[in-house]
Amino acid sequence: MIAALAAVALALVPLVVKADFVLTIFIFSFILGIAAVGFDIIFGIAGQLSMFHAASFGIAGYTTFLVMKAWALSFWLGLLPALALVVAMSVVIGSICFKFRLKAFYFAVVTLAFSELARLVVMNWTGLTNGTLGLMIMAKPVIGFGSLSRPIEGTLAWYYLTLVSLALAVVAARAVVRSWIGRACGAIRLNEDLAQTLGIDIFRYKMLAFAIANVLAALAGALFAFYTGYIDPSYLSIGQSLDIIAMVLIGGQGTVLGPVVGAFVLTGLPHLIEIGAEQRAMLIGAILIAAILLFPRGIVGSLIRLARRAV
Amino acid sequence: MTQLLIGQLLNGLIVGTLYGIIALGVTLTFGITGIVNFALGEFMMIGAYSAWYLADVVGLPYPVALLPAVAIAGLCGLAADQLLFRFTRDNLVNGLLVSIGLISIIESGALLSWTATPKEMDYVLSGTVRLAGIGLPKMRLVVFALLAAVIFLTYVGLMRTWLGRAAYAYAQNPEAARLMGVRTGLLQSGVFVYSTALAGLGGALYATLYSLEPFMGGLYVLKGVEAAILGGIGSLSGALVGGLILGVTESIGAIFLPTAFRDAYGLIFVVAILVLRPGGLFGEGR
Amino acid sequence: MLFEAAHATKRFGGLTAVADISFAVDRGEILGIFGPNGSGKTTLLNLISGILPLSAGRLRWKGAEIHGLAPHRIAALGIVKTFQNPQLFLELTVAENVGIAGHLALKRHLGFGRVRELFRPAQRVQPGLDAQSERILRLCRLDSVRDQFAASLSYGQEKMLGVAMAMMCEPELLLLDEPASGLGEEEIANLEAVLRELRREGVALCVIDHKIGFLGRLADRALALRHGALIAEGRPEAVLNHPDVIEAYLGRQHVPAEA
Repeated sequence: MIAALAAVALALVPLVVKADFVLTIFIFSFILGIAAVGFDIIFGIAGQLSMFHAASFGIAGYTTFLVMKAWALSFWLGLLPALALVVAMSVVIGSICFKFRLKAFYFAVVTLAFSELARLVVMNWTGLTNGTLGLMIMAKPVIGFGSLSRPIEGTLAWYYLTLVSLALAVVAARAVVRSWIGRACGAIRLNEDLAQTLGIDIFRYKMLAFAIANVLAALAGALFAFYTGYIDPSYLSIGQSLDIIAMVLIGGQGTVLGPVVGAFVLTGLPHLIEIGAEQRAMLIGAILIAAILLFPRGIVGSLIRLARRAV
Repeated sequence: MTQLLIGQLLNGLIVGTLYGIIALGVTLTFGITGIVNFALGEFMMIGAYSAWYLADVVGLPYPVALLPAVAIAGLCGLAADQLLFRFTRDNLVNGLLVSIGLISIIESGALLSWTATPKEMDYVLSGTVRLAGIGLPKMRLVVFALLAAVIFLTYVGLMRTWLGRAAYAYAQNPEAARLMGVRTGLLQSGVFVYSTALAGLGGALYATLYSLEPFMGGLYVLKGVEAAILGGIGSLSGALVGGLILGVTESIGAIFLPTAFRDAYGLIFVVAILVLRPGGLFGEGR
Repeated sequence: MLFEAAHATKRFGGLTAVADISFAVDRGEILGIFGPNGSGKTTLLNLISGILPLSAGRLRWKGAEIHGLAPHRIAALGIVKTFQNPQLFLELTVAENVGIAGHLALKRHLGFGRVRELFRPAQRVQPGLDAQSERILRLCRLDSVRDQFAASLSYGQEKMLGVAMAMMCEPELLLLDEPASGLGEEEIANLEAVLRELRREGVALCVIDHKIGFLGRLADRALALRHGALIAEGRPEAVLNHPDVIEAYLGRQHVPAEA
C-alpha cells in the first residue's frame, strides 16, 4: 500500500522538481535500489552474506554492451545473455558453496574471491574490455517497435525508465518474499537444521535466492552503465558491493522498501552535505557501524516497529 | 634459470611471512572470538604509517620506532574492541560487517591524513648478503627472521603458557571455559588486541621494504584470509604455512605467468581448498 | 512393513554408537525405545531421518532403500523427526512456525500449482492449509498462544510446538525424541492424547523417552538399547522387566533372583 503511494508520488516528482541535478540523484537511487532489493533477498531474507553482487553488476554492464555491439542487437536483447551469464555463474558458485554447507563466513569469502577474480579478468582482458580505461557506451535502450520506437535519452526519459524498472523489481521481490519461497528462505535464515527436517531443500532455496539477487544486481548494472555512458572494472570492486550492503543495512534489511530508502540515503547524502570523497566514505562506514550496533532494523524497520507499537 | 627460481623462492618466503602474520591474526581472532576481522589490514597499515612517521618525521632510529609503532596499532585495536566489537560478541555476522565498516573509516582517515601519494621510508639497513649464490637485501632477511620468530613465539606461547591453554580450551568449548572461571571477555579482548598488534608489527616491518599507501591494508587482509583458509582456520601453524605457500606461489608464478595473475593465485587456492579439503591443509579434512 | 531397519550401524571413529540394530515399524503402531543415556537412541533417530549417514546396514521405507538421502527428501517421503532440545523459529509466532511447517504439505497438494502464489501475494493459495494448522494448534493446546513469539513459550509449550510442526508435515512415520521430558502431568496427558489420535489416524510412531510410565502405557511394542546394541524387544511390560534392561538402568543388584 505504502509502496504504491510512494510510486505514484515519485512518478509526480518531475512535475514539481525541474532541476536536472536533483532528478539525476533520483535516477541513481532507483538504479542502485534495484541492486539493493536484490541483495536483501539473499541476505535479509535467506541470511547469507554474499559479496558477489558487484561482480553481477559489472559483468552485466559489460556483457550487455558487448553483445549489443557484436550482434547489433537492442539493449533489451543484449540484456538477456547478460542475465543468463549471471544466472550461470550463480549456479556454479552456489553449487560450490551450498553443496558443502559451508559456514557463513566461508560463503562471504568465496563469493568475494569469485568477485575479485571476475574483476581481475575484466581488468586484464584488455582486448575485450579495454582494461582499466573502460568502455564508452554510446548506445541507448529503445522503447517501442519500428516507427514508434524512441530511444531513452535525457533525464526525464531515464527517470521514468528507472522508476518503472525499480517498481517492477520491488513488485517481483515482494511476490517472491511473500510466497512459499520467501517463507522457506526465512526458515533457512532462522534455523537451518529445523528447516531441513521440515522438508525444505536448503540447497535449492539458497541457490534460488542467490540467483535472484544476482539477476537484480545485473539489471541494475546494465542500467547504470548505459545511463552513465561509461563502464570500467571499478563496477566490480569490493567497494561497490559494500555500498549496496550499506544501503540494505541502513534502510532496513528484511523489509520491502528498506533497501530503496537506503539507496536514496547513500546516494543523496554526499549531495546534501558538501563533503569530500574520503569524508563520504568515512561517514558511510560510521553510519554502517551505527546501523549494525544501534539500529539493526534500519530506518524502515524501526519505523515499522514504531507504527506497530502505536497501534 | 635456477638462480632466478631460487631467488624468487626466497623472496616468496619473505613475502609469505608477511602474509603469515596477518593470517595468524585472522586465525587467532576467528578461533577465539568467532569473528573474522577484515579490518586487520587497516591495523597493519596503521603500524606501517606509524613506523614511517616515527622514523622519518620524528627522527627516531628505526629499532626505537618499531615498538611504539606496534603499540599504536595495538592501542587502536583496543579502542576498536572496546568501542565496537565488544557489542558483537553474540552475533558474528555483525562483527564481520562492523569490521568491513571499520575499513572504510580507517582507510579514508589515512587518505585524508597522508594522501594517496606513496610514502617511502628511508633505508633502515642497506647492503646485501650472499645466500646460495644470490644477493638478498639484509633488511629482507631481518624482516623474515623477526616475523618467523614472532609467529613461532606465539605458537609456543599458546601451547605452553597458562593463558595460551585457557585460550585453547575456550576455543574448544566456550561454555565450559566460562563455567570454569576463564575470564572470557578478557580473553576475547586480549586475543583481538594481540592480533591487531601482530598486524601492526607486520606493517611496521613492511614499511622498511615497500612503499606505503592507504590501500595496502585491503590487499594484505585478503591475502591473510586466503592464507589462513589455505592452512586451515584455527590452525596456527597452518597460518604460517599457508602464508609461505601463497607467497612462494605468487613469486614463482611471476616467472611464468604475467604479473596480472599475481592476485589470482590466492583466490584460486581458496576456492580449491574449500572444494577439496574445507578444513584447510592442517585442518580436519571433511 | 512400513519401515525396516536392517543391521543399522553407526561408527564415529573408534566409537560405535549404534551397533547392528534391526527392527520394523508398521502403520498405526507406536514403538517405544528405551535405554540409558548414551545408548544410541538419538543417534538411531538421526540415522533414520538422514541427518547422519549410516556406517553399515540398510533402511527401507515402503520397500525402498532410503539411506543416503538428504534429510529434506526423507521428510518429503513422510518420515519426520522432532528434536530432543526443541528447535523452533524463535523470531516468529507460534502460528507462523506451524505455517512454515506447511511447506511440504503445500508442495504435496499443489505441486507446480503453488507458483500461482507468486501472483497472488495477498492470499495464501491453499486456505485448506490454514484450517489444518488451526486444527493442529487446537489439538496441541497451542491455539491460545498462537500469536505469541516462539521465544516466549514455556518449555512444555516449546516441546508441543515441535510436535505440532512435525504433525503439519503430514508424516506417516513420526520420530519423537523425548517428547515428554520436562513436561508436567497435565501436559503429558495432553501429549498422550495427541499421540493416540495420531495412531488412530494410521501414523506410525517411534518414541524415545525416559518416562517409563508414560511410554509403557502408550507403546504397542518396545525396544531397549544399551551401548548402541539391541538388548530386548517385545511388548513393553516384557521389555521393561527383562533382566538385561533392569541391569542397564538400575544395575545388576536389582535384577530379581529367579529371572
